[in-house]
Amino acid sequence: MASSDPRSMGDSESEDDNFNPAPADLSDDEEAAKNARSPRKANPRTSSPALDDDGSDEEEESPVRNTGATKRPSRAASVVENDEDEDEDEDEEPAQNDDDEEEDEDDEDDVHGGHRRKRRRDRRTAFFDIEAEVDEEEDDEDERDGEEIEDFIDNAHPDDMVDTNRLNDDRRHRELDRRREMEASLDAEKQAEILRERYGKRAPTRGFGDTTVVPKRLLLPSVEDPSIWAVRCKEGKEREVVFSIMRRVEERLGTKNEVPVISAFERGGINSVMKGYIYVEAQRQNDIMITLDGIMNVYPRTKMVLVEIKDMPDLLRVTKTPSLEPGSWVRLRKPLKHAGDLAQVLDVTESGLEARVRFIPRLDYGVRDESIALSDAGKRKRPGVPGPRPPQRLFSEVEARKRHPRHIQGNPQTNTWTYMGDDFENGFQVKDIKIQQLDVKDVNPTLEEVTKFASGAEDGAENLDLKALASSLKDSNINVAYVPGDVIEVYAGEQRGVIGKATNVQGDIVTLQVLEGPLAGQSIEVPNKGLRKRFKAGDHVKVIGGSRFRDEVGMVVKINEDRVTLLTDQTNNEITVFSKDLREADDIGGQGSLGQYSLLDLVQLDPTTVGCIVKVDRESLVILDQHGETKQVMPSQITNKLPTRKTAVAADRNGSEIRLDDVVREYGGQQRQGKIIHIHRSFIFLHRNTTNENAGVFVTRAGNVNTVAAKGGRINAAGGGPDLTSMNPALKRNPTGGNMAAPKSFGPDRAINQTVTIRRGGYKGLLGIVKDATDTHCRVELHTKAKIITVPKADLSFRDKITGRPVDINSRGGRGGFGGGAGGGGGRGGFGGGDRDWSGGSRTPMASGGPERTPAWGAPKPSATARTPAWSRGADVSGARTPAWGADGSRTVNPYDGSRTSYGGATSYGGGSRTPAWSSGAKTPAPDGFGHGSKTPAYGGGDTWGSKTPAYGVSAPTPGASGDSWGYTPGPSHAFDAPTPGAGLGAPTPALNAPTPGAYSAPTPGAISAPTPAAWGGWGADAAPTPAAGAPTPAAGGYYGAPTPAGYGAPETPAASGPRYTDDD
Amino acid sequence: MFFLHNLERRVTLHPSYFGRNMHDLVTTKLVKDVEGTCAGDYYIIAIMDTFDVSEGRILPGSGLAEFTVGYRAVVWRPFKGEVVDAIAYSVNPHGFFAQAGPLRLFVSSHLMPDEIQYDANATPPQFTNNADMVIEPGTHVRVKIIGLRTEVGEMWAIGSINGDFLGCLQA
Repeated sequence: MASSDPRSMGDSESEDDNFNPAPADLSDDEEAAKNARSPRKANPRTSSPALDDDGSDEEEESPVRNTGATKRPSRAASVVENDEDEDEDEDEEPAQNDDDEEEDEDDEDDVHGGHRRKRRRDRRTAFFDIEAEVDEEEDDEDERDGEEIEDFIDNAHPDDMVDTNRLNDDRRHRELDRRREMEASLDAEKQAEILRERYGKRAPTRGFGDTTVVPKRLLLPSVEDPSIWAVRCKEGKEREVVFSIMRRVEERLGTKNEVPVISAFERGGINSVMKGYIYVEAQRQNDIMITLDGIMNVYPRTKMVLVEIKDMPDLLRVTKTPSLEPGSWVRLRKPLKHAGDLAQVLDVTESGLEARVRFIPRLDYGVRDESIALSDAGKRKRPGVPGPRPPQRLFSEVEARKRHPRHIQGNPQTNTWTYMGDDFENGFQVKDIKIQQLDVKDVNPTLEEVTKFASGAEDGAENLDLKALASSLKDSNINVAYVPGDVIEVYAGEQRGVIGKATNVQGDIVTLQVLEGPLAGQSIEVPNKGLRKRFKAGDHVKVIGGSRFRDEVGMVVKINEDRVTLLTDQTNNEITVFSKDLREADDIGGQGSLGQYSLLDLVQLDPTTVGCIVKVDRESLVILDQHGETKQVMPSQITNKLPTRKTAVAADRNGSEIRLDDVVREYGGQQRQGKIIHIHRSFIFLHRNTTNENAGVFVTRAGNVNTVAAKGGRINAAGGGPDLTSMNPALKRNPTGGNMAAPKSFGPDRAINQTVTIRRGGYKGLLGIVKDATDTHCRVELHTKAKIITVPKADLSFRDKITGRPVDINSRGGRGGFGGGAGGGGGRGGFGGGDRDWSGGSRTPMASGGPERTPAWGAPKPSATARTPAWSRGADVSGARTPAWGADGSRTVNPYDGSRTSYGGATSYGGGSRTPAWSSGAKTPAPDGFGHGSKTPAYGGGDTWGSKTPAYGVSAPTPGASGDSWGYTPGPSHAFDAPTPGAGLGAPTPALNAPTPGAYSAPTPGAISAPTPAAWGGWGADAAPTPAAGAPTPAAGGYYGAPTPAGYGAPETPAASGPRYTDDD
Repeated sequence: MFFLHNLERRVTLHPSYFGRNMHDLVTTKLVKDVEGTCAGDYYIIAIMDTFDVSEGRILPGSGLAEFTVGYRAVVWRPFKGEVVDAIAYSVNPHGFFAQAGPLRLFVSSHLMPDEIQYDANATPPQFTNNADMVIEPGTHVRVKIIGLRTEVGEMWAIGSINGDFLGCLQA
């Protein structure tokens, strides 16, 4: 800084109380002396009269402005002051921060290389001022720089100052030596005494200063004071410029053109927002121009900014150096090779200037020539050209020995090595680094980086110090952002205890609307320093800010001061965070996803491994794979995400179909119960709420579970009813389309020996007995005349021999004879019935597929129904089953081209029916079908067949009707149809049925089937229709069969059937 | 707390069901759709009756008929501060989960009286004060709800047994 002519002290208050008052009694000489080394400035403001007395003592502390109107340009001085003053009053501190100090030091080194040691000392003892003010008494006692200076100053007359500099230098050294000697000769006690005398007064002095009643605001600069201008300079050269100014001040001191500025300083630094500027205090702008004229790297002619008075104190505000603790994370700035690398603090030297850190070395072990010079020093010399830097790898002794066997030494036991002048421990490079070369703020170590450190342990155990990590992360976000609406508690300061809602936030000031207490309703403004957010147990909050739990959302369960424990929504874990990192949450979910992956997604890790995401961290995922093992992976390790297949099905232990969202229970083992969230091949991933482990997810094989409840009650929601938003199954079939030919039945025609009436033609109304039958015609022996006539089956109506009531020969009941008639005629007459049946049939498939819809379910007894529709039928109506069979038959027919009657023998059933069924059903249904099928027959056989049938036949229709209405939903049923009938119903039955050919009467299926197929055809798949067709038929046979027979025109069928079949196929 | 609540809902019906018993079907569907569900911040426990089935309107495009049905239902809305009886179903060191009807609750160990401690050695693990209070899966507990969260189709609460008359219900 430049000093202007010294002024009388006490003119005005200095801006800061920190500034030392100048002793009133100082003589000009003294000032001159003091200023010799440091340019002085006459500062009227500096001295406050009140402080004059202790000026000498205090001066040590306030280097910035001096009594002698000396203002030191040297940052070192001001830094010292800062250190000491920090305690006193942060707000008003003019000083610079420690960082600056450090840098200053460096710079100084550069500038006055020779004085480095001295400088340091100065700083340590907070010197400049002391010397400046040192009185005579002090002079003799100590050798400190100040004194040297004093000597120097005494001798230096302003006029010859320029010339004498060199001489002085010499003299100073001698002087110094002398003093040293003298000091050394003193005994320790005396020395202590001296020291005490010198420094002991400090505290009291300060106290005195404090007690002086000078309101601080009066110390702030006013319009009367000189102005400060910010002058553009080259970035990084700020300090140099200031020193140049200082030199110029010295040079011109006492000449005619003394430098007219009062002070100059800079607040540069890598992270400073004030870099690229120096600040010069002067009365007039022109003074600055004069002063800076010809100084390098500063551009006074470009825009020069006048600092507003209110901003002046801020220029000198101290920013605190964040404290470093062992274990915390920092980033390296200096060895350029490692710039930006993460490092962990091992230790901090007592001086607080250096820290021992460890980081992962970037060594190439001499692979590149250049690398030989890669020591830090070498790098520093050409900072601009870091070149390609080797990747981070832990130190490897083997590699080091390869090329530089001589440069490595160390102890394999402790795994500590010295290689090329660097120390390595456990693979990490360990180095003492100046703190100002570390980035300690906003470190934000990523988990990946930290993991490298953690896994460095020899045993491979991960010993992450999450606490340190958390604290690093926490530090990175010191400023809490309050937003209007936050409920805030004041925990420090005058307003302590006040609770309010923020209404406005401006800078550091938060306006609170007080909610509780005597102030309730008032609005107060408080600095955000002593504030914290307030929550209540049960509040739903989200973690914001730097904690590693960022974005978790949860409910508060406990509050302890500013630590809040919350239970996360996602995983039901408890986490503890600082309240400043929380915010009231409106949304739910929160940290459910990382990139495209979210909790509970199914992902593919490699071709053979899939897993379910059970935990989402900020940068990694935890995955439960199909073998039940959890592993932590990065998103990059995931091959792809498997989309949820809604239609995925699997078979449980019993062969029942299970799908997503079904609830199943493990068989054996822990009998865990859960809801299916994924089905992957034979593995199912289940979720349960009863445990937190793996987010409640576990994995098991599909074959190892029993169904507890199927979604939507496929299995046990008998009362579910139809899906009213989709097609009514009862209407699904096209009634006019039932043209499918009857399946041919094997074995003797059922019509034979049946009593029939003829419904049309010349013999209409006559009663007779069928003597013989073909597919289409019967030979009927009339009761009235001993005559046998040939009549189309369709023209016959089958009657009970005794009662004369119409019967259905297709029904199991073994009404008999209808046989062919049913087959062919069923087509028409049966339509009504057929339709229903159809639906019934359709159900069947359903049963296997989605039971709930099946009419069977709706109508009859649920219990019976429980399994296959076939069952339901079986239970209720004997006929019902038949149809099922019929269905098979029909199918059979298709594949075989009707060569045989579908109903024919049991055999045919077995073989034919199944085959198609299988093929079509290939996927899911197949198993089910089997299961059911096999059962069904058993049932059927036992109960229904034969005897009951008739009864059933009658009753059947009704339920059938209702059943129909329930019908199934087209969608699903369709899907399932194909498989089910084939598998479930068809196959098994035959075996049983076989005996009851009558009941089975092939025709039924035919008749019924006829309509169906058409319907199906409409639907789509070829394969599907067939079975479907088949399916319905049986139904017809079952429920409606009884009624229908009358309706069945036997004769018609055949004709119709033949062609139709083909069509269908 | 339970309420009798008048609600309204739109029910759609496939045209294939149009007919005489349409209203029955609509009612049936309503019951099927609504009973036992969580409607935001309350559960619909049961439908008492429907008092108003509007005339149906055909929805353009799909052909479905839409009916606006007014109905009266018993609903349960849990409140913060409400005391409910629940059954614990899972116990872990952080607390226990309980179910109050359809509502799942978590009671954190922070929200229990101090003397109640987690005992991992018991089978099954339990929270106990080594006297009359033993909380293990299946235990009936009386819990005060202190926080509620609603999600789509689900509610979730945090409870406390820190208070008079809260905690285990003696059999």
